[in-house]
Amino acid sequence: MPRALGITSLQILAAIRDGVSYGLDIVARTGLPSGTVYPTLGRLKKSGLLTSRWEDQRHAEREGRPRRRYYELSGEGARALAEGRARAASALASLDPDVTGQVG
Amino acid sequence: MTPIPGRVALRLLSLLVPRDRREEWLEEWIGEWTSLRELRREGGAGDYPGEAWFVVGALPHALWIRTEGWTMDGVAQDLKYAWRVLRRSPAFTVVAALTLALGIGANASMFSLVNGLLLRGPSGIRDGDRLVQIARSYDQAPRWDNWSWPASKLIGEASPVFSGVAGFSAGSFLLGRGEDVEALRGEYVSARYFQLLGVTPAAGRLLDERDEVAPGSHPVVVLSHGLWTRRFGGDPRVVGSTIPIGSEPYEVVGVAPVDFLGIDAVNAPPDVWVPAYQRTSSGRLPLFESWGSSWFYLFGRLQDGVSFDAAVAAMDPVTTRLRSAAPENEDIRVLLAPGVGLSPQERAQGKQVTVLLSGIALLVLLLTCANVGNLFLARATDRVSEVGVRQALGAGRNRLVRQLVTESLALALMATVLAVRVVMMGGALLPTLIPWQISVSLAPDARVFTFMAAVGLVAGLLFGVVPSWAIARGDVARVLREGGTTGGRSRTRLRDALVVGQLALSLGLVSGAGLLGRSVLNARSASPGFNPDQVLVGFVNLRATGRYGSVEGDMEGFQTRLVSALEALPGVEAAALAGQAPILGGHARSTVVPLERANEPDAGFEAEYTPVTPGYFAALQIPVLRGRTFRAPAEEPEPVVVVNQALADLFWPGEDAVGKELAQGEGSLRVVGVVADVQMRSLRAPANPGVYYPYHQAPPWYLAIHVRTAGPTRDAMSAVRRAVSDVDPEVPVTGLVDLREGTARSLTETRTFVMVVSTFASLALILSLIGLYGLVSHGVARRAREMGIRMALGAGRGALVRLVLHRAVGLALVGVVAGVLVAVGVGRALRGVLFGIGPSDPLVLGAAAVALTAAAVGAAWVPARRASRVDAMVSLREE
Repeated sequence: MPRALGITSLQILAAIRDGVSYGLDIVARTGLPSGTVYPTLGRLKKSGLLTSRWEDQRHAEREGRPRRRYYELSGEGARALAEGRARAASALASLDPDVTGQVG
Repeated sequence: MTPIPGRVALRLLSLLVPRDRREEWLEEWIGEWTSLRELRREGGAGDYPGEAWFVVGALPHALWIRTEGWTMDGVAQDLKYAWRVLRRSPAFTVVAALTLALGIGANASMFSLVNGLLLRGPSGIRDGDRLVQIARSYDQAPRWDNWSWPASKLIGEASPVFSGVAGFSAGSFLLGRGEDVEALRGEYVSARYFQLLGVTPAAGRLLDERDEVAPGSHPVVVLSHGLWTRRFGGDPRVVGSTIPIGSEPYEVVGVAPVDFLGIDAVNAPPDVWVPAYQRTSSGRLPLFESWGSSWFYLFGRLQDGVSFDAAVAAMDPVTTRLRSAAPENEDIRVLLAPGVGLSPQERAQGKQVTVLLSGIALLVLLLTCANVGNLFLARATDRVSEVGVRQALGAGRNRLVRQLVTESLALALMATVLAVRVVMMGGALLPTLIPWQISVSLAPDARVFTFMAAVGLVAGLLFGVVPSWAIARGDVARVLREGGTTGGRSRTRLRDALVVGQLALSLGLVSGAGLLGRSVLNARSASPGFNPDQVLVGFVNLRATGRYGSVEGDMEGFQTRLVSALEALPGVEAAALAGQAPILGGHARSTVVPLERANEPDAGFEAEYTPVTPGYFAALQIPVLRGRTFRAPAEEPEPVVVVNQALADLFWPGEDAVGKELAQGEGSLRVVGVVADVQMRSLRAPANPGVYYPYHQAPPWYLAIHVRTAGPTRDAMSAVRRAVSDVDPEVPVTGLVDLREGTARSLTETRTFVMVVSTFASLALILSLIGLYGLVSHGVARRAREMGIRMALGAGRGALVRLVLHRAVGLALVGVVAGVLVAVGVGRALRGVLFGIGPSDPLVLGAAAVALTAAAVGAAWVPARRASRVDAMVSLREE
């Protein structure tokens, strides 16, 4: 495992965790600026935690919108997210003894 | 942001992305940006960012991709090298950084104007983007106007799309007694005003439902933070105490927070807020029952989940209910506009001014980029051999471009830091650029500094990339062979183009400054139909004291005593009172109709309504064309009027208006005189048809004092104030000003544009002359050997000067021709602020062109002379 993931990367991984997502959706879900989200996506992809693929052109046309680039968690990404959540939970618990590992 | 700039910005930014990934990058960004726009249009973009802000994020992304392959070692090395290069030529570095700082600073200043006025909105309120202005209009006569009290109640009850509706009405108040009296600006607000805006008190409580039970029974007041600290020293014990406002004691119930300055962006911030029910009627109509008296500005807060468009659609049933509620509302219509602070018209006007100023600032930035780019190129020529050697040693072209771009970015960074200073200094100046008094802050915030950083970065890339590319393209072998003496044809052409561009832009700005300068001169000597020299004008608001209320006899007594007191002052030639003062304020209109056409539906006209005392026409020296003016009240029992020429021409063209009659209720008003036209509203607008009424027949509570003095007006100022306070010590005079000064000042925007444009124009001129000078002297230096040979072959000094000048003059002429086009464009853009001069005045344009050509020849002359002094032997021996 290389360097531990930061809060921003974790937020982005968490926004994708239900399956696949695209940039604008992640921006809206995390509330992070687009200038943070896209470079981070690039970095996560480069370190193998994410994969990306282009949506089928015909599908996009049926929906009447431009083609999307979808990002998906890799196996390693899912592991990194789980590990990050555990880390965050324990950090939170140490800050506030009333919270017992509940992180959304 | 409109769609086009967003797309263009993304395309431009895509140039930063390496070619093999560019298409993909662009597809992702344009695709998502398009989806975002779609969402926003449908109103379902709750969690999504603003479009412009979203596009801004593309820059870091593009840069991230561009620099992905760079190792830290490489970057550090580049930076170190860049620092060394910049330090080696401090003069270049300082001049370039300062020039750029001015360009960047000018743009950031203009942006903080846009930011404060148009983007940020009023401060101190919660979720301002969920607020909506509600205005009254009519199908037949569209407008943007206030509401009557019953209408405001009906709209609140009939609109479930709003979580609430509230409003305010501006008023003037007098605080204190005797010597201590102070005129305040305040607002009458409805019960939910503070709650809907989401304001929390700094002390005590704010106004709410318990302050809106019955008219006239709530003497409570909320102080602004400013008034609280200024007048009461920020003492918390003032809450709960009573203070005298007008003729009544008011209980101070609370203090507004420091950042809440009301929601009317284009007025001075209010000092006090009192319940709407404390307002008293000025006319015959009962304030809180009448549908015909519209005095209340309304806004609403959108219910959660309701979009603006949905709210607009939901106004149709409200309109229907209003129409059936009262006959006055026959074709009334409810209009909405998003956000509070500026009405749509004010927003449009603000946009116009800021777009103009930003355009000018952008021109200056382009110019500085061209200038610094040129300096870079000139230096590049000197560095061709260095680059050649590095290329020969194996540095790839990309690596070289990267190195050179690092240099330009380092320079841009320095400039941006310096620009912070420029923005801070410019900040004090900004409010004066707006033609109105404003209550919103224009101080730069994080958004402004982000913008500044972006401008710095773009500027750095702009003036860095192109020259770098040109340098790195240099043919290594040739460079080494020729010992670095030639610059390469394309590079020279690029430099020529930059200088031509600079000259063209400067000509545009210089001619713009000329047009504005002439406008100010025209405004100074304008004759608006009256003689504004040696006249003092001030205003008195009798209603503010609460004592002259409805007893008109009282008011008349005050007015008669005031006129005699003023006339008795030494050095006063004439004194008069009027309902309005030309240009300065109190403006009012009233519909009049000639008696013989009183029954025709469309015969009426909304003419200027000006009650005046007999001395008025003498005080303003308005020529009497026919008939007479008014006599003293006792000698003027009949209802009479004086009309101006424009009204006479409108109603009775070709006839003598004296003796004609205007309809007035059941009776009529006889015209006894015709006077010359006066520009009552603005120096820019032509004179309106107007009617003057004898003061005692229609005494207003808002008085404009006019005093014509024998000597300079400032000698009489304090005497006039004293005369008023002798008549009634509790009535303050506001806005006392020399009429000539006030009239000239009314063209504020023109005057400030003169300041901004001429500053920028001189900057531009200096920059482009430096550019031309640099180009020519560099050319001379490079061609020293050729000159030497020519001289050795017998060419005279004059021939050499001509040789050098020939090219410079050629460039200057091309620049001037292109500049005339720019100047016409600049003139068009400035049309709204020009006065008494066309946007492409040939005299101004010609003079600017001649001046620029002369300056250009002068700038080229110096190095040309130097060329002719070249010692043939020396320059040849150097080879």
